[in-house]
Amino acid sequence: MDIMTPRQKLLLYLAVLPAPTLIHQPALLAAGFAFALLLAGKTRWRILSRSLIAILAFDLSVSLGVVLVGLWQGRIDVDWLLLANLRVLLMAYLGFWFIARCELLAALEGLPTARRLVTLTIGQIRTFERVLGDFRLAFDSRNIARPRLLDRRHHAGAQAIALLDKAMAQSTEVAQALRSRGAFD
Amino acid sequence: MHIPDGFLSPQTYLPATLMAVGAWAWAARGLKSRLDETLLPRLAMVTALAYGLGLVMLPLPGGTSAHLIGVAMLALLFGWRLAFLAYSGVLLLQALLFGAGGLTALPVNALAMGFIGSGAALIVFRLLRRVNEAFAVLFAAWASVLLPGIVVALVLGLQPLIAHKPDGSPLFFPFGWSITLPAILIPHAFIGLAEAALTLFVWRYAKARKWTS
Repeated sequence: MDIMTPRQKLLLYLAVLPAPTLIHQPALLAAGFAFALLLAGKTRWRILSRSLIAILAFDLSVSLGVVLVGLWQGRIDVDWLLLANLRVLLMAYLGFWFIARCELLAALEGLPTARRLVTLTIGQIRTFERVLGDFRLAFDSRNIARPRLLDRRHHAGAQAIALLDKAMAQSTEVAQALRSRGAFD
Repeated sequence: MHIPDGFLSPQTYLPATLMAVGAWAWAARGLKSRLDETLLPRLAMVTALAYGLGLVMLPLPGGTSAHLIGVAMLALLFGWRLAFLAYSGVLLLQALLFGAGGLTALPVNALAMGFIGSGAALIVFRLLRRVNEAFAVLFAAWASVLLPGIVVALVLGLQPLIAHKPDGSPLFFPFGWSITLPAILIPHAFIGLAEAALTLFVWRYAKARKWTS
């Protein structure tokens, strides 16, 4: 049973998130990370893999930069590598853990305009994903051989306009539904 | 150009949060009356487009990422305040759903891309509109990428100066301006060109449907 409301979870997340930026000992951050892993329960590995995927590119690029500069200067700052990577991973983990446990729209209760915009935007994102997938399949089915660059350009233009039109139509529908429920009164 | 969580010191994100809260309050004044059932779907559509554009990212060695922003089209179609608010929402969703950026970095990201990016786009557009509208849109979009890039590079490069151990080694982002400025600005000067072309496309779409004045 959930003992916290979505709003309480949001507030707890916002209160805990800055903590890793106040800690500068890798051992303490590692302990904090182990504690978070322990508390997350069965979903911990899925949250961890999402966190790793999210931070991998950025962390790797900065860490490689530090290693290269260290090699050039003759001293690699292992402390910084540990500290920064643990901190970034822990903060990403806390974010995905929060999202895994909390319904964002429910946490925004009491903020009707923000909820309306988030609802519509998320609806739009789903529409974009669906329309893009449909268009890709249709384009592939029409081309046995690899399409020319000009064909691709025409397709992209048509797809973009159709995408915007469909998104607009769907968004208007949702807004009218909101209007009929008194959301704009 | 999102800055991820964990690279900014509290000396940076705390004052930035105060500034962002002030800017959000300014932008949200009278919001309910402005967001009617005509404007809201349009805003949601362009916001979702900006969200999608920002997710195709290329990591940069300077500690951030290269991607289209989409804030210029928001600013040109909906004005500074709505663009800033909508783009802040985009950054919030990207941070929570994809771990792109983060909540401690949100104020800096929102002020750089949402506030400065949309402001720059509008100012440039208004200055150049009389010369040539298409050129004004293109240059406004390019500026909306480059100016936030400068801010992000300055903020990141500031970190080793303001947050370090007694021996001088950095506690947060490790590189100074000599690395962050070229690493962020050179790719973004080119990304700005793609942003400009896309913004012109959306601008023409909106004009054909009489969204713009």
